[in-house]
Amino acid sequence: MKMKFYLGLLVIAFIFQGSFIRAEAKQIDYKSAEFKAVAQQFACTCGCGQDHYECDPNTCNLTTEFKKDLVGMMNKGWDKDKIRQYYVNIYGEEILTSPEKSGFSLTAWVLPFVVLGLAAIAVFIIIRKWVKKKGTDVVMTDYESTEDEVEGEILTSMIDEERKKYL
Amino acid sequence: MYLFANATIYIGLAIAVYSLLIITLGISTKNQKFVNSGKSGMIALFVCAGMAMIVMFYLLATSQFQYEYVTDYTSSELPIIYKLTALWAGNAGSLLLWTFFLTLYMVMITFSRKMKGNPMVPYISAILMANAVFFFFILGFVAKPFNLLATVPTEGKGLNPMLQNPGMIIHPVTLYLGYVGLAVPFAFAMAALIMKNVDDFWIKMTRRWTIVAWLFLSLGNIFGGQWAYVELGWGGYWAWDAVENASFMPWLTATAFLHSVMIQERKNMLKIWNISLIIVSYALTLFGTFLVRSGVLTSVHAFANSNLGLYFLIFMGVAVILALYVLMSRYNLLKRSAGEFNSIVSKESSFLVNNLLLVGAAFATFWGTVFPLVSEAVRGTKVTVGMPFFNKVEAPILLSMMFVMAVCPLLAWQKSTVKNLRKNFLIPAILAVIGMALMVVLGIQKAWAVIGYGVIILLLVTHFLEFYRGVKARRKMTKEAPLVALYRLMVRNRRRYGGYIVHLGIAFITMGIIGSQNYDVETMKTVSLGQSIELRDYRINYDRLDQKKEGINDIVYADVTVFRKGKKLGTFQPEKVFYGNWEQPSSEVAIISSVKEDLYIVLSAWEDNGKATFVVKVNPMMDWLWFGSFMIVIGALFAVWNGKYGNVTPRYTGVRKEVS
Repeated sequence: MKMKFYLGLLVIAFIFQGSFIRAEAKQIDYKSAEFKAVAQQFACTCGCGQDHYECDPNTCNLTTEFKKDLVGMMNKGWDKDKIRQYYVNIYGEEILTSPEKSGFSLTAWVLPFVVLGLAAIAVFIIIRKWVKKKGTDVVMTDYESTEDEVEGEILTSMIDEERKKYL
Repeated sequence: MYLFANATIYIGLAIAVYSLLIITLGISTKNQKFVNSGKSGMIALFVCAGMAMIVMFYLLATSQFQYEYVTDYTSSELPIIYKLTALWAGNAGSLLLWTFFLTLYMVMITFSRKMKGNPMVPYISAILMANAVFFFFILGFVAKPFNLLATVPTEGKGLNPMLQNPGMIIHPVTLYLGYVGLAVPFAFAMAALIMKNVDDFWIKMTRRWTIVAWLFLSLGNIFGGQWAYVELGWGGYWAWDAVENASFMPWLTATAFLHSVMIQERKNMLKIWNISLIIVSYALTLFGTFLVRSGVLTSVHAFANSNLGLYFLIFMGVAVILALYVLMSRYNLLKRSAGEFNSIVSKESSFLVNNLLLVGAAFATFWGTVFPLVSEAVRGTKVTVGMPFFNKVEAPILLSMMFVMAVCPLLAWQKSTVKNLRKNFLIPAILAVIGMALMVVLGIQKAWAVIGYGVIILLLVTHFLEFYRGVKARRKMTKEAPLVALYRLMVRNRRRYGGYIVHLGIAFITMGIIGSQNYDVETMKTVSLGQSIELRDYRINYDRLDQKKEGINDIVYADVTVFRKGKKLGTFQPEKVFYGNWEQPSSEVAIISSVKEDLYIVLSAWEDNGKATFVVKVNPMMDWLWFGSFMIVIGALFAVWNGKYGNVTPRYTGVRKEVS
């Protein structure tokens, strides 16, 4: 009898399990910021050239399923990094919209700044060299400030104007 | 017609080759007659390209489907304007447009009043003519625009609906004018180097033409952005797509040149650097074309894949190698006249920093764009380098650029002393800090937004001071009314104040970008008839779903009434269009613009019971972006406008005058 009771409970639990989970599952807006953070990481491979956040489920079947899977994982409580790792493990780095920040792909992120930094040092050294070459004993013939400069320009243009009148 | 059409291309090729040879011969034998013959050839070439364009327009307009190109890109029910614009929808046609612009520029330069009797003309002509030979060769043998089909189809394949937008009329045209325009400064630079003469004339002319090309390139990108914004599926106004990057890179390097050339003008320095920038800008236009036409990268600008890209790569290689050879052979000449700097902190130095950042941004874009290829070559994994990467990498570089832009106008030429710095920067800096503090208090707390807007406040104040001081100085001497003084100040120094207007435009664009990127909200909701969607201050009532027929297209549309803070803004119709001759439907979005923000409504899907799914977005400050773009155009036009004052192009004062 007891056995039957437990079995019955199990059957009931089995029947209603779907609705229990569904009750737990949150309705996620495909255009919400939280979904964006997750979906934007993945490139859609249907050929639209967009990520899974932007890709329109009406024109792309691939993204419809993908979005559902993402929502499923988000409902399981996975955060965006865990979801990212899950997909990278299956599909490799190709599925991401931006390269990983490790291994060879790190060079994608770092190189621009390394080059910029080196170039900045080079520019600094060059300017210093040019300044040194000039020495300190030079008389400043040019304008001391912006205002003087503007005045100088105005004067030149006025002289020019007058000259044109008579020549 | 077929014979005539092809004749324009092949005769064009023959004329181009002839002109190139005869001009080169004319230069080397110093025979004016030969050069003149080449110049006449240039007009003939222009006529050929023009005829080819007219024929193509005619074939497209009259739907002559026996031509492969007409079949591939049009259909008989297409509105006439899009039939015509289909000229640049495909590979062959767009290259024809390119060729036409090249010949147009060629004729404009060779026969302009300013260039009359100038010995640089034959050299410039020869260099541009070499470009023309390449393009006519491509049109004649690789991407033939006038191919006939074996069987004549009754109907064409139609134009991709996404291209049926007013953007299609103007975006490619302006972009190509910009692309081709960069060949002009390149030709000037090469001519000057060959003639061993990089003087004032060279600077003035090259700068002018670079601004023209730069303006068109900016316009092309702006129109492209505007189009992508209203067209769903292109990732908004800027998506860092490979092709967008391809036009952004030469834009950056051309901007760098426009600034560093000022150092050459004032100090006779950086000559090698400037010429390198011109060469790089020109090479990048060809490189961009290689990327687009070869299919090595995925892009929304999908041209049919072909081996066309390879030809561009080879041509670019040859052009760059030759250019570098010429540059190296003149290295000593250019180096000889190098000047000096007076101080580490000066306007001169800030121009170098500006160049560093602009070229750095161009490099970062380049690296991100080619990284998928690099990664594939190195480890066999073709990674995607998309929007998140570029946003993260470019944001700090471009923001630093904004900072330099804010600071530069107030730095003195030669040397900025501490006193001078304090005097110039104290007020702007205090205002910027107050502004940032206010933003934080008022709820704008995202770091990028606060820093970005702070820098922009600094920029606006320093630029205002620059105008203010100019007007003050002028009034002190002339006692004019303030507005008169401002007007005269500006028209007497068009380049400087035009440049400042462009700066202000960039500031507005940046404000728009920061606002729309950081504070946009979006939602996707399915609602029944009569229900509404709420987002921020907006309520969107879903009133009706209906269907109509327009030509061979079926349109499903929804009537929505929009309220902001309870006040009715009107009824709008986002729609979805199903095309008679295209598989994929497209969305026509409803956009309600205001100075503060855009409300963007997309009809995404619907069910039989009348339920419909909408995507609703609020994009803040979009109008600022468009207003800034407008200012850029005004500023650039103001700078190149042939004014009465201070814009006299110096006569050529070069060393040789043998043929002209």
